Amino acid sequence: MIVKRLFAGIVAAVAAAFGFAATALADAAEHMPVDGGHWLVPAANEQAQRIDDFHIMLMWIITVITIFVFVLMFWVMFRYRAKANPVPSKTSHNTIIEFVWTVVPILILVVIGFTSLPLLYYQDVVPETEFAVRVTGNQWNWTYSYPDHDGIEFTSVVVPDSAFVNASERAEYEAALTGFLGKPAKLNARLLDADTRLVVPANTKVKVQLTASDVIHAWTVPAFGVKLDAVPGRLNETWFEADKPGTYYGQCSELCGKDHAFMPIVVEVMTKEDFAKWVEHAKAEYADAGTTALGR
Amino acid sequence: MAGDVHHDYHLVDPSPWPAVASLAVLFMMVGAVFSMKPEATLFGAQGASFGHWFFGAGLLGTIYSMFAWWKDVVKEAERGDHKPVVRIGLRYGMILFIASEVMFFVAWFWAFFGAAMYPLHHISDMGTFWDVISTDAAWPPAGVETFDPWHLPFMNTLILLLSGTTVTWAHHAILHGDREGLKKGLWCTVLLGALFSCVQVYEYAHAAFAFSGNIYGATFFMATGFHGFHVLVGTIFLAVCLGRAYRGHFKPDHHFGFEAAAWYWHFVDVVWLFLFIFVYVVYGGTPH
Amino acid sequence: MAAHGNPTGWRRWVYSTNHKDIGVMYLWFAFIAGMIGFGMSGLMRMELAEPGVQFLPSFLGITEDHARHMFNVLTTGHGLIMVFFMVMPALIGGFGNYFVPLMIGAPDMAFPRMNNVSFWLMPPAFILLLLSTMVEGAAGMNGFGGGWTAYAPLSTIGHPGPSMDLAIFSLHVAGASSIMGAINYITTIFNMRAPGMTIHKMPLFAWSILITAFLLVLSLPVLAGAITMLLTDRNFGTTFYNPAGGGDPILYQHLFWFFGHPEVYIMILPAFGIVSHIVSTFSKKPIFGYLGMAYAMAAIGFIGFVVWAHHMYTVGLDVDTKAYFVAATMVIAVPTGVKIFSWIATMWGGSIKFEVPMLYAIAFILLFTVGGVTGVVLSNAGADIVLHDTYYVVAHFHYVLSLGAVFGIFAGMYYWIGKMSGKQYPQFLSKLQFWITFIGVNTIFFPQHFLGLQGMPRRYVDYPDAFAYYNKISSIGYEITAVGVLLFIVVMAKTLFFTKKTVADNQWGEGATTLEWTLSSPPPFHQFNELPHIK
Ligand code: HEA
Ligand code: HEA
Ligand code: CUA
Ligand SMILES: [Cu+2]
Repeated sequence: MIVKRLFAGIVAAVAAAFGFAATALADAAEHMPVDGGHWLVPAANEQAQRIDDFHIMLMWIITVITIFVFVLMFWVMFRYRAKANPVPSKTSHNTIIEFVWTVVPILILVVIGFTSLPLLYYQDVVPETEFAVRVTGNQWNWTYSYPDHDGIEFTSVVVPDSAFVNASERAEYEAALTGFLGKPAKLNARLLDADTRLVVPANTKVKVQLTASDVIHAWTVPAFGVKLDAVPGRLNETWFEADKPGTYYGQCSELCGKDHAFMPIVVEVMTKEDFAKWVEHAKAEYADAGTTALGR
Repeated sequence: MAGDVHHDYHLVDPSPWPAVASLAVLFMMVGAVFSMKPEATLFGAQGASFGHWFFGAGLLGTIYSMFAWWKDVVKEAERGDHKPVVRIGLRYGMILFIASEVMFFVAWFWAFFGAAMYPLHHISDMGTFWDVISTDAAWPPAGVETFDPWHLPFMNTLILLLSGTTVTWAHHAILHGDREGLKKGLWCTVLLGALFSCVQVYEYAHAAFAFSGNIYGATFFMATGFHGFHVLVGTIFLAVCLGRAYRGHFKPDHHFGFEAAAWYWHFVDVVWLFLFIFVYVVYGGTPH
Repeated sequence: MAAHGNPTGWRRWVYSTNHKDIGVMYLWFAFIAGMIGFGMSGLMRMELAEPGVQFLPSFLGITEDHARHMFNVLTTGHGLIMVFFMVMPALIGGFGNYFVPLMIGAPDMAFPRMNNVSFWLMPPAFILLLLSTMVEGAAGMNGFGGGWTAYAPLSTIGHPGPSMDLAIFSLHVAGASSIMGAINYITTIFNMRAPGMTIHKMPLFAWSILITAFLLVLSLPVLAGAITMLLTDRNFGTTFYNPAGGGDPILYQHLFWFFGHPEVYIMILPAFGIVSHIVSTFSKKPIFGYLGMAYAMAAIGFIGFVVWAHHMYTVGLDVDTKAYFVAATMVIAVPTGVKIFSWIATMWGGSIKFEVPMLYAIAFILLFTVGGVTGVVLSNAGADIVLHDTYYVVAHFHYVLSLGAVFGIFAGMYYWIGKMSGKQYPQFLSKLQFWITFIGVNTIFFPQHFLGLQGMPRRYVDYPDAFAYYNKISSIGYEITAVGVLLFIVVMAKTLFFTKKTVADNQWGEGATTLEWTLSSPPPFHQFNELPHIK
C-alpha cells in the first residue's frame, strides 16, 4: 500500500516537475490542499494563476539545471572511474568553458528576472479597489472589520477539533456559521475552519489592510496568491480579487506563539447580490460590535 | 619536546585563564539574567536570592582573568616573545577587533538612522489604529527636548580631538626615546578621556528624556552610551600604558601595546565625530 | 611546567594552547551538540508524523496546551543548536583549527590562548541555551518558542520570562567566541603562511575559512547589537522594537538578516572548501579553475552581505526595494554555479576512486544543487509570496544545510579521521552509513517541497489532515536517518577505540597534495618547527 502510494507519489512528482500536475489538478474542488498533493493549490484568481504560471516556468528551469548537473556528474563518475581511466589528465584550465558556465547562468537569470519583476509589480501595486477590509492579527485569532460598511466588525476563531469528532457540536457550529453567512454552510476541514469568515463579493477588487495587536502574524490565502505580515504598529496593504464564489482557506504564516497553528483564515466569496444581502444582515448584528457568531 | 624551533612565531604556554574566564562568564550571564528578573526562579531558587551574587562573582572572575591574562601578555612581550612577525600578527588582530567594533556601532546607527529618517508615530492602541500613515511623524518625536550640540557636546568634541593629538604626542615621544614626553602625553590623554566621561555623565544627568519609553531616548543613549563605554575602556587601556611607561616598557622600535591603545583611541574618536554630527547636529532637531 | 611544556591529563585540554587539541575538542563538542539537535528534530518529526497533538503530551507528560508551546521550543532549540553549536563548531572551530595551520605550513594559530577561550566559551553558551529551555519563557510555560530568528515582539512581550534573556546571552557568548575565532583565522592566514605560499597558492579550505572569518567579523557584531536591543527592550523599557514608543519591529528583522544571510554562507563555505579537497584527491587531479574557485567564494561572501531582505518579502517592504533584493539574490547563483561546474570539471578526466569521503562529496554536490535551485525559486519575491514560511523553505534550507553542510562535515570526518587519529574507518560499515543516511535525509526533506507547495506553514505543531501523507513519509525518513546517525557513532567508536591498524602519512596517495599529508598521522604535537618551503 505504502509502496504503491510512494510510487504514485514519485510519478506525480515527476509529472509535477514537468508542470503537468498543475493542469491535472486544476479542477480539484475547493482550492484546498489535498492529501498527497504536489503542487500549488489551484488558483482562484489571476494573481494566483500568474504565480502558478511563473512557478511552472521556474520549475522547468531548475529541473533542467538539476538534471543537467546530475547527468554530468553521473557520466563523469562512470566514464572517469579509476578502472576506466587509470591515468588522470592534468588539465586545470579552460578559459572558454569557464566563460560559458559563467555567462549561461547569467542569461538564465536575466530571463527569470524579466518574468519575475513584472509579476512582483503586478502583485504589489494596489490598484483601484472597491472597498477595504481591515484585518487585525491577535494571539490567536483574527479580527475583521469593514470600514466602508458601517464598521462591521467580528472575530474569527478556529473551530476546535472536538467539533470534527462530535456530531452534535459540529451541527451547532454549522448552524451558527449558516446564521452568520445567511446561507447554508458546512465545515470542511479540521484546523482550516473558523467560526466566522471574511465575506467578500466575487469579481471585486478588495483592499486588505493589515495590522496586529500583539505580535507579528501573517495573513495568507494561497488560492488568491496573497500573503502579508500583520505587524503591530504598522499598516500593511495588499489586495485581491476572487473569480468565483466559494470558500477559500489559509493559515497564519508567521510564528506568533503557542497557537500559531490554530488561527486559520477563511474567506467566503459570494455573488455581489448575496454579498449585499450579507452586509445588511451583518450590519444589524456586527456593526461596531466586537462579537462573533457564537457570542464570544 | 621534539626538535629545535626554527621560527619566530610565538607558541604560547598553556594557560588557565581562558577556561577560568569562560566559567566566570557563565556565572556572570546567569547572574545578570536573574538580577534583571528577580521574581523568576531557576531550579526553584528565586532570582533575587542569587542573581546579584552570581553576577558579582562572575564579573569579578572575568575581570580578574582578563587582568591575569593581559599581565601574562605584557610579561611575554617584555620577555621578547613578540618577534617582529608576531607583532605583525598583533596588528592584524587589533585592526580586525576594531573592525568588529565598527560593525557593532553599525547596529546602533542602523537603529538610529531608521528611526530618524523614517520616524513612526507612537502607536499605543495597537491593533485599532487605522488612519496613520507610517512615515509622517516628527523627528525628534514631539515632546522630546534634545541637547544643544554647540554646548557640552561640542566641548566634548574638542576634548576628544585634543586627546587625539596628545596621544600622538606620546607616540612621537616613544619614537624619539623621550620618556618624559611619553608620560606627559599619556597623562594628558588619560585625563582628557576622564574629563570627557565626566562631562558625558553630567550631560546624561541633565537629559530631558529617558532611555525607556521612547525611541529617541533609546537610540540616543544606546549609541552614545556604548560609545561612552568605549571611552572608558580606552581610558583604562591608555592608563595601563601609562603605568607601563613608568616601568620602563616600550622601545622606540617595539611598543605595539601602546600603538594598539592609540588606534583604539582614534577609533573611539572617529565614532564620536559620527555621533556628534548625526545624532547631535543633523538629527538633533532644534534644541530648547 | 616547562616553557612550551606539553601538559598531560586534564590540563592538556583545559589549559590548551594547541590548535590540534582545541580542534579535537571543538569536534567533540559539535558532535554532542549535534546529537542533541538531532534528538530534538526527532521529537519534532514524531509529533508531526500524524495530524493532531499527541506525541509530545504523552512522551513528555505535559498537557496538550503546553505541548503546543513545547513544540515551538523544540523548533527554536533545534535551529539554534544545529546552526551555532553543531555546524559552526564542527566546520570552523573543528576542521578550521585542526587543518588551517597544517595546510598553510604554520606551527599553530596566531593567538593560541585566544583560540582556547574561543573554544571554552562554547560550553557556557550551550549551557545558557539549555538552561533557557528549563525556565519560564512564555507566560506560565518553560522555554523560548519564538524560532531561531527570535523576531520581536514575540521575543519581547511574547516571552516575559527569563528564558529569552538566557538565550540572548547564549548568543552573545557564542558570538564573542566566533568573533575571536574569526580574528584568529584571518591573522593566522595572513601572517603565518609558510615561506613561498602566496595567497594564490593557498589551499581552498584555507581560502574558505578566510572568507568565512571575514563574514563572521563583519556580521556577528550586528547580531549582537540586535539582540542587545532585544535585551534592553525586555528589561529596561526601551522601545527599539516597540511601536508604542515609536520603535519598529521590522528593524529587528533587518538587523537579524543582515547577520543571518551571511550566516548561511558561513555555514556552507567551509564545506565548499572540504569538498574541493576531496574531489581533487580522489580524482587524482588538481582543482579545476583554482583561482575561479577562490574568487567565487569571495564573491559569494561579498554578495551575501547585500541580499538580506529576501527573507522579508512579506513584511511589507516597498516594491522597489523588493525588486532590488530579487535581482541581488539571484546573482549569487552565478558564482555558486562556477563552484559546481568546477568540481565537475575537476572530476572530468580524473581517475576517480569512490572512497567514503568521495561519496559524501559527490552527494554534497548533487544535493546542494537541489537546495540551491530551490533557493533561486524563493529569491523571486513574486513566487515567494506563496512559498514564504511554508515547508518549501524548510526543504530548501535543509537541502543546503542538513544535506549540504552536514554532508560536508561527514565528508571531512571520513577524509581526515585517519590523519587526526592515525586509525582508519571500517570500509563496509562506513559505506553502509553513507547510503542509509543518504536515503534517510532525502526521504525526510524531499517530500517537504510538496508540503510547502501545497501551503503547509512551517513552525506548526499540528496541521490539517490534507498534509498527513507526506508528513508521514518525512517522519519515516527520520527513522531511517536515525539508523544512519547511530551507525555513524558505531563507525567512529570502532575507528577510535577498536582499531589497531595505523595509517600512512599520506593515506590517499598522490591525489592528496596539501601539507597535512606530509606529516605523520596523527601529526606531532608541534609541527613545522622547521617551516616548509613552498616552491
Ligand atoms: C547553507 C545554508 C544556505 C545556503 C547555501 C542558501 C543558499 C541560497 N538561499 Fe537560502 N536559506 C537558508 C540557508 C541557505 N540558503 C536558510 C537557513 C533559510 C531559512 C531561514 C529561516 O527563515 O529560518 C533560507 C531561506 C532562503 C530564502 C527566504 C525564503 C523565505 O523565507 O521565504 C531565500 C529567498 O531568496 C533563499 C535563497 C537562497 C539562494 C538564492 C541561495 C543561493 O546561494 C543558492 C545558489 C546555488 C545554486 C543556484 C545551485 C548551483 C548553481 C548552478 C548549478 C548554476 C546554474 C543555476 C542557475 C542559473 C539558477 N534562502
Ligand atoms: C545545520 C542545520 C540543521 C540541521 C543539520 C538540521 C537537521 C534536521 N532538521 Fe532542521 N532546522 C534547522 C536547521 C537544521 N536542521 C533550522 C535553522 C530550522 C528552523 C528553525 C526555526 O524555524 O526557527 C529547522 C527546522 C526544522 C523543521 C521545521 C520545524 C518547524 O517548522 O516547526 C523540521 C521538521 O521536520 C526539521 C527537521 C530536521 C531533521 C529531521 C533533521 C535531520 O537531518 C537530523 C539528522 C541528523 C544528522 C543528519 C546529522 C547530525 C549531526 C551530527 C550528529 C554531528 C556530527 C558532528 C561531527 C561529526 C563533528 N528541522
Ligand atoms: Cu498568528 Cu501565527
Ligand atoms: Cu538568505
